[in-house]
Amino acid sequence: MRASKEISPPLTRSLYMNAPFAGKDGETAFARLCAELRPDLFRFAFWLARDRQVAEDVVQEALLRAWRSRESLGETDSAKPWLLTIVRREHARLYERKRFETVPVDQLVSNESPELAVAEEREVVDMRRAIFALETDYREPLVMQVLLGFSTGEIARELGLTQGAVLTRLFRARQRLRRDLGVAGSAEDDES
Amino acid sequence: MNCLEFRRAAGAEPEHLTAEALVHRDGCPQCAEFLKKVERLDATIFKALQVPVDSRPVLPRATRARIAEAVQASVGSRNRWYALAASIAGGVAVGALLWAGGSRDVLARDVVAHLAHEPKAMAITSVPADAGSVRAVLAKDGVRLRSNMGLVTYVMSCPFRGHEVPHLVVQTSAGPVTVLVLRDEKVSRPKTFHEQGYSGTLEPSGPGSIAVIGGSDEQVKEAAARVEAALEWAR
Repeated sequence: MRASKEISPPLTRSLYMNAPFAGKDGETAFARLCAELRPDLFRFAFWLARDRQVAEDVVQEALLRAWRSRESLGETDSAKPWLLTIVRREHARLYERKRFETVPVDQLVSNESPELAVAEEREVVDMRRAIFALETDYREPLVMQVLLGFSTGEIARELGLTQGAVLTRLFRARQRLRRDLGVAGSAEDDES
Repeated sequence: MNCLEFRRAAGAEPEHLTAEALVHRDGCPQCAEFLKKVERLDATIFKALQVPVDSRPVLPRATRARIAEAVQASVGSRNRWYALAASIAGGVAVGALLWAGGSRDVLARDVVAHLAHEPKAMAITSVPADAGSVRAVLAKDGVRLRSNMGLVTYVMSCPFRGHEVPHLVVQTSAGPVTVLVLRDEKVSRPKTFHEQGYSGTLEPSGPGSIAVIGGSDEQVKEAAARVEAALEWAR
């Protein structure tokens, strides 16, 4: 019960009003939903942690918490943002529980080199490296926008920022990626 | 809106420009060009973020046991035998559905789930994908085209169950169908399926199979025959 207090779905409803994940059918529906959303959950966790094993751990813990609280989730449409919130919080909890060694970005990149090299296009490999090197403040809203399709308003709510701050971070994230990738003309583009 | 304001808006949220920004873009060729660059950048960012997702079991045995415990605890006040049964049912439900290496039904579900991650691919369009990219993506999987399979409007090498697989969208008179070329997924005979409102078929092809997903059985059947006839497995 503690978990359901910690993680409130975006739209809290009475169990008796509309609880698509209650009962046996609900269990099956919820499990199926988790399976469908797992790639997004994993990728989100991966880009937060920049480590495959940590991402796997985060997703598993998040699914456990979600499973315990599933009956309080009012609408299927709310499931994705709700699960992503749980992944984000679980990732933060993991860092509260464990004190990870500070690892230079170059070493992170080298640890994850198979991950980064899996795409066949040079451009994509270079982009993965550049995103890896972005600070979390820039990387996180960018992943939420480009990969997960969140609006800036949704990102602002999730990260506890103003919408203006989110827009600035997104602009700077792209600016840094262009700079790191040496996209021709980017400096003039930004200044004109 | 001036050029600086436009570029700040486009650089932050290129897919949601205001009406004012769109008017500026239409009247300023330099800013229109800037927007194209940002859109190209975003397409690359999107591809880069699509890291492969393992097809290993999502939840190992120990975790499924913990789920079972959690379910048992959540019904603690009820009959103990009922609680035990509920915990097993819960564990089995999650375990069975999240266990990725599995039956062909799971393969069908994975194929449809993959569609959900690339919704833009299913747009009805008459703009063909670059023919060179189509050839390159298929060639990576040891496949070439021996005949025309129809208007291909989307092509991507996608991570699927631990492998990179060709993902194509082919336009038909009844709308787009999605085709996944699955060298590493064998099926012994054609198998139709219905998932989340889609119709689909898994058909043996070369050393593996092809998956074709569309809006109706007829559309899928016709498209699958055309695709299968067009593919030639070189190895």
